[in-house]
Amino acid sequence: MAGGGNGFFSWKELTSPVSGEKVYELFIGPQHPASGHMRFIVRLDGDIIVDVEPDIGYVHRTMEKLSEGREYIKNIPLFERATIIDSNNITLGYVKALEKLLGVEPPPRAKYLRTILSEMNRIQSHLYGMGIAGIMLNHSTMFMWCFGDREIWIQLAEELTGARLTHSYSIPGGVRRDLPADFKERFEKAARYMERRLKDYDKIFFSNPMIRSRYEGVGVLDKDTAKRLGVVGPNLRASGVRYDARLLGDYGAYDELDFEVPTREEGDSLARLLQRVEEIKVSLSVIRQALEKLPEGPILADEYFKKLPPKLREKVLKTGRVKFPAIFATLRPPPGEAIARVEMARGEVFFHVVSDGSPKPYRVRVITPSFRNLVLLRYLPRGCRFMDLLAIYGSVDYFPPEADR
Amino acid sequence: MWLELIIRLLLSPYIFAPLIYPGLVTALAILLTLIWLERKFAAKVQLRYGPLYVAKQIGGAPQLLADAIRFMFQEVIVPRNADKVPFLLAPVLAMSLGILPIVFIPVAPGFAGILINFSLPAALALSALMPITIILMAWSANNKFTIHGGVREAFITIAYEIALFVSALSMSMLYSSLSLQDIVEKQALVPGILLNPLAALTFFVAMLMSAGKLPFDIAEGEQEIVAGPYTEYTGILYGLVMGAGYVQLYVSSLIFTELFLGGWHPLFEALGELYPPLGGIALFLKTYLVLAFAVFLRCVYGRYRIDHALRIGWRRLIPLSILALLLSLGLRFVGVVV
Amino acid sequence: MSLNDIKAKLEGLAENITESHAGFILVEVSPECLKEAANILVSTGFDHVSCVEGIDKPGDGVIEVTYYAESYDEDKRGVIIGLRVKVPRDNPTVPSLIDVWPSAFYPERETWDLVGVRFEGHPELKRLLMPPDWEGPPPLRKDFKVKEEGIVVGGGR
Repeated sequence: MAGGGNGFFSWKELTSPVSGEKVYELFIGPQHPASGHMRFIVRLDGDIIVDVEPDIGYVHRTMEKLSEGREYIKNIPLFERATIIDSNNITLGYVKALEKLLGVEPPPRAKYLRTILSEMNRIQSHLYGMGIAGIMLNHSTMFMWCFGDREIWIQLAEELTGARLTHSYSIPGGVRRDLPADFKERFEKAARYMERRLKDYDKIFFSNPMIRSRYEGVGVLDKDTAKRLGVVGPNLRASGVRYDARLLGDYGAYDELDFEVPTREEGDSLARLLQRVEEIKVSLSVIRQALEKLPEGPILADEYFKKLPPKLREKVLKTGRVKFPAIFATLRPPPGEAIARVEMARGEVFFHVVSDGSPKPYRVRVITPSFRNLVLLRYLPRGCRFMDLLAIYGSVDYFPPEADR
Repeated sequence: MWLELIIRLLLSPYIFAPLIYPGLVTALAILLTLIWLERKFAAKVQLRYGPLYVAKQIGGAPQLLADAIRFMFQEVIVPRNADKVPFLLAPVLAMSLGILPIVFIPVAPGFAGILINFSLPAALALSALMPITIILMAWSANNKFTIHGGVREAFITIAYEIALFVSALSMSMLYSSLSLQDIVEKQALVPGILLNPLAALTFFVAMLMSAGKLPFDIAEGEQEIVAGPYTEYTGILYGLVMGAGYVQLYVSSLIFTELFLGGWHPLFEALGELYPPLGGIALFLKTYLVLAFAVFLRCVYGRYRIDHALRIGWRRLIPLSILALLLSLGLRFVGVVV
Repeated sequence: MSLNDIKAKLEGLAENITESHAGFILVEVSPECLKEAANILVSTGFDHVSCVEGIDKPGDGVIEVTYYAESYDEDKRGVIIGLRVKVPRDNPTVPSLIDVWPSAFYPERETWDLVGVRFEGHPELKRLLMPPDWEGPPPLRKDFKVKEEGIVVGGGR
């Protein structure tokens, strides 16, 4: 029995209880060197996996309930903590929905700056995913290299936003800080270094025949099943579906930039990993273009900028760091609802914000990409060998804190 | 006079070889430095420092000594459901069986713990007993993860043993002797690896599989089954089982050096007059180089899946080692070695 | 795919079809017609659901359950169709749509867990994010107040 996806999907089959004399149960539980913040209940027949049940909820931080008790602006750092390694993308989803409710449009320079930070987060998050995939196969060199190279992008983000991971960069109406003076040169240096390193990764990991033998043909996800299961992100694009929320063109500067969305046809674990490498290259080119085409202008929308006292306005224009107007503390969007979709590193996040006119939201619903990819951890490892479970886990890039929120 | 008697006793081959060189003391020294070297190699490749703090001026070299002292003071926890006697006995047996083959391996002509004409099969046979103790460890810990690891270890053992033995036998067939001493004597001009590189390759890969080094650390698969058969061990027992793998690697490397790299040549003549094991310095250095290469592979490889590793053992190594045997026969037939 | 196409297809089934300024097409149906409307949407090409949501409205005495259907095809890319039902608050039951949209499995389970809506026909309604022995009321209901602990400044041991 080769890996899971044979194109036939039925919840009835997946949820029917498994019995048999030779079937034994292993809990790859939360107290395990390689399980992440979740538990797998694996039923094995010898070395072949008969059934996997992912047991999530160990890092549930009740963000949706908490958001109902906080003002709108305080929810930005709250939702950021769901996926701290990809923070601008997830807060951008919330801020976009909020801007739709308020009827505010950020200035063009702010859109470009948001794009630059989003792409930097995407690169850094993909490196994290590749590092975890490496250590799942006990390839400690790939793990250490990826995490070491991530440092460069985190330091660049710190120069831009002031914080290494918890950026809280996007605010309703714009962004918090302007670009520092020497950012472009430092980015070019980092980009050249990254392109060199991608070749190194190829030599030691992706072209390593040992790694290829563990990833090729394992956990194949075909196109139709991927579409029906609502899978998102690089997992979807590695199965041949060309879908990316950036192509919708309704946030950031993506409609003015020239980038292509790569896809792959095979749909196995190797394709998913190589897809992430391709996306890093695309992100590098997007940042280059954005830095070149960066328009001049304010970074906060006029209607909020006008509400600052004149002295603070001068200070903001001089230092490039935004001070919040007093109205942010009690933002009251008109009653209504708004939906926003943003492409995070792992896929598309879906925000639905319902407001009833009070300073605190009535309901915020967030579905993160890892939650939508959870079904893959149940469907793909069936019929594979036990060691393939971790190879699939590494290639799907499931991030438990993001799925549990 | 007593002192002279004791010194002569200590320096006799029966005490010196098993105890000091290449026996317990050398094995311990190699254990302590080799693991440090492995961590330093991995660190240099992975853009970090590695062990640094124990004695900063010499790069953290006594790190393993600190680890060993820590293991000695750590509490030994025996799980409630474990079978106590085998649980406590198996690591001791593993280490003993790992180090026992050293008594047969000569370090200089006529200098070995037990000098017999069949030292090669004797050493290999003793080292083949060690996997049984690992399966005993796995079974006695009474834990699904350890049993899973034990079964993996059993599969791997059967896969590599044949290749190991046939490669070694192909060298003894080349030199028409089963005694390691004779084999080394006949490599005075040309080391064995140049005559039969195929056997060297299969022996090296089988050696990696036997010691559980990457890419074959499948029994001790940390990411899937916590630590395989060694999961429930703490304290000094953990130190013993972790050391047993390295000791087996050391013994296999000694045999590899004597079969393929020319043993104690070429420095023997100069220093051997003084005291025979001093001439074995070359043997020690070559063995250390082989060990350093084997542990360096950790930086390059991940872990093979079990059925791939078994396929390598059964479908690649065994046919290659039989080919090596035929190559040896051919060389003898042609008259390259008489 | 525009509002009028959807209106034409769901003729007579839906009570109300509006284009919300929020960027999605809202289709309100009654619980009996839910499955049929879903099947029609699937045949049009909206083959997966990205979100299942339950909003508690104690003022109206209903819980609104919404399925947001999307499509990956090029021409339907920006369109989200929200299929909304209103169920009474004291006995919220909705027929499960996992046969129609397999991607709704985990979101439905989460909605049961956190809001308390029972999905008939869902084979695995057990705790997903809450602890497995949670006995209290569903947390995302408006009458579930989270007990806040005070902050002690200074003092303490």
